[in-house]
Amino acid sequence: MTDLLAVEPLEAKTPLGPLFWACVAWLSLNVLAAILANLLPLQDPLFQNYSALNAGPSLHHLLGTDDLGRDIFSRIVFGSRISILVGIGAMFIGFGIGAPLGMLTAYRRGKFDHIVTTMMYVLLAFPAIIAVIAVLSFWTPRSILKIIIVIGAASIPLVYRVVRAASLSVATRDFVTAAKVQGASSLRILLREILPNITPIMVSFLLIGIASVVTLEGALAFLGLSVNPPTPSWGNMINESRTVLAQNPWLVLFPSLALCLFLLSLNFIGDRLRTYFDVSEVKL
Amino acid sequence: MSPDSRHLLEVDQLSTTFATPHGLLPAVSEVSFTLQEDETIGIVGESGSGKTVLARTIMGLQPMTNIQVEGSVLINGFQVVGASDPEKRKHWGTDVAMVFQDPMTSLNPVMRIGKQIDETLRVRLGMSRQSAKARAIELLTLVGIPSSTERYDAFPGELSGGMRQRVVIATALACSPKLLLADEPTTGLDVTIQAQILNLLGELQQRLHMSVVLITHDLGVVATRTSRLIVMYAGRVVEIGETRDIFAHHRMPYTRALLDSSPRISNPSHTRLLAIPGRPPNLLNLPNGCSFAPRCSFATDQCHNERPPLTPSSEPGHSFACWNPLPISTRSEMS
Repeated sequence: MTDLLAVEPLEAKTPLGPLFWACVAWLSLNVLAAILANLLPLQDPLFQNYSALNAGPSLHHLLGTDDLGRDIFSRIVFGSRISILVGIGAMFIGFGIGAPLGMLTAYRRGKFDHIVTTMMYVLLAFPAIIAVIAVLSFWTPRSILKIIIVIGAASIPLVYRVVRAASLSVATRDFVTAAKVQGASSLRILLREILPNITPIMVSFLLIGIASVVTLEGALAFLGLSVNPPTPSWGNMINESRTVLAQNPWLVLFPSLALCLFLLSLNFIGDRLRTYFDVSEVKL
Repeated sequence: MSPDSRHLLEVDQLSTTFATPHGLLPAVSEVSFTLQEDETIGIVGESGSGKTVLARTIMGLQPMTNIQVEGSVLINGFQVVGASDPEKRKHWGTDVAMVFQDPMTSLNPVMRIGKQIDETLRVRLGMSRQSAKARAIELLTLVGIPSSTERYDAFPGELSGGMRQRVVIATALACSPKLLLADEPTTGLDVTIQAQILNLLGELQQRLHMSVVLITHDLGVVATRTSRLIVMYAGRVVEIGETRDIFAHHRMPYTRALLDSSPRISNPSHTRLLAIPGRPPNLLNLPNGCSFAPRCSFATDQCHNERPPLTPSSEPGHSFACWNPLPISTRSEMS
């Protein structure tokens, strides 16, 4: 057996690196804080302390207070709930509809693929943010669920395009045909042959997608189209701080910083994962 | 090959045509042949002669809508042409299985090799998890994978090309098919491994009493391993017969040219191999007569204007399509 000797040991992959794990830790901390916000010893994000308006950071108010005397640290933690919920919820809708559709059309091809893909490209041609703004300004009263639905629907064509392209490159490979002529059903081929091969791409796109949605929610909140005040979200905190920028620069700094670090971590993890899995793909 | 044994595969007047933006492309035209149980038939021809399309049509794989198939393919009594996907799904794997060209792409890179085999066993044969695993390990042993119990958990990326092709063969054998289509199963492998894989296929054919269709462009591969041979050119059968008759008494100049273009041990060293002059014809614009006429040194006006039908030769089962066949006694060694 000459070819027994040819069995290659798997080369060790380059490690993900400490920065990757720092980002993972930061994200986990954010998500945990958002989930446990009610249980944490935080001040009421809506309580107005009139004796400390526009206060700087102190022991009592770790990151200071805003122009109504509300604790910024507490508002950032509670605000992260909205941002994270919208990010995950919208991507849930986007992937829930866009991903199966993209895989299906890539595998089946033909007329159905043609119609769906053309429709999606028409939708993509229209700037999503304009559509989101238009729908949200008329669909009142606004709630977090409506925001999730609107942003999620707007993300479907984007998810569809990425998933379809990834599936297409897998669906044309011989092992899919091989599984087919072994009598595997279409569902089995989609779930066992195609899905595992596009998972790395989907995960990194999911993370980057969440980051984009969080940014979009921030932009909507800044325009006053997200959750209604006084409920905090990172976007509307930045919006509210605009008026008192000169007196209280802390107010714009901290929510922006929170948003920024959250997005950086997500993007970095997504990017790192993509290259990590790309390398293994080449080796295989 | 006894005359009373059943025909496992009957291909009758099979044509596969692609509708392209530039017109109709007849990739396979009016191919007819039969295959007995327990027999190995070889299909040879240059690249683009329609071998792979023929194999895929026999399988019933028509990925695109712009393909038109005419004629009939009966495998074990199942009519493949015009069958629906669910019907074909039942027939695939148990009646017929296929080994693909490139072992690098015919295994799922993210699934353990054992899983790829026992998945089929569980879905198609309804085996339990344990018995499917035992059977998968058995199959891996059967195709000559050493320490198959450990290899069961390996990913395709951890195996060499030859090992992967063995796994591909094991996967194809999972449901004990009666017919195995091997489409250039050794193209992606180096020469020593090629011989191993081909010997393995031959061994398995005898042990499991399968019929095998071996598709290749390498005449050396089919010489000893097939009982009958089909020579294809431009989508048509140009010569068909028992392998030894084709090697010894071929009548079609194209077969001669193919034989002359492969190296032979009896040639003195530094003999130049003869290349076939010209190029395979453009299938979109085939000549009216014999497709090989433009490259053929024996071509006459008749060859250019009239397509030669398959004509029986002196040996039983040996036919050729040529207006000016080589004389019967011709042996390629004499050229």
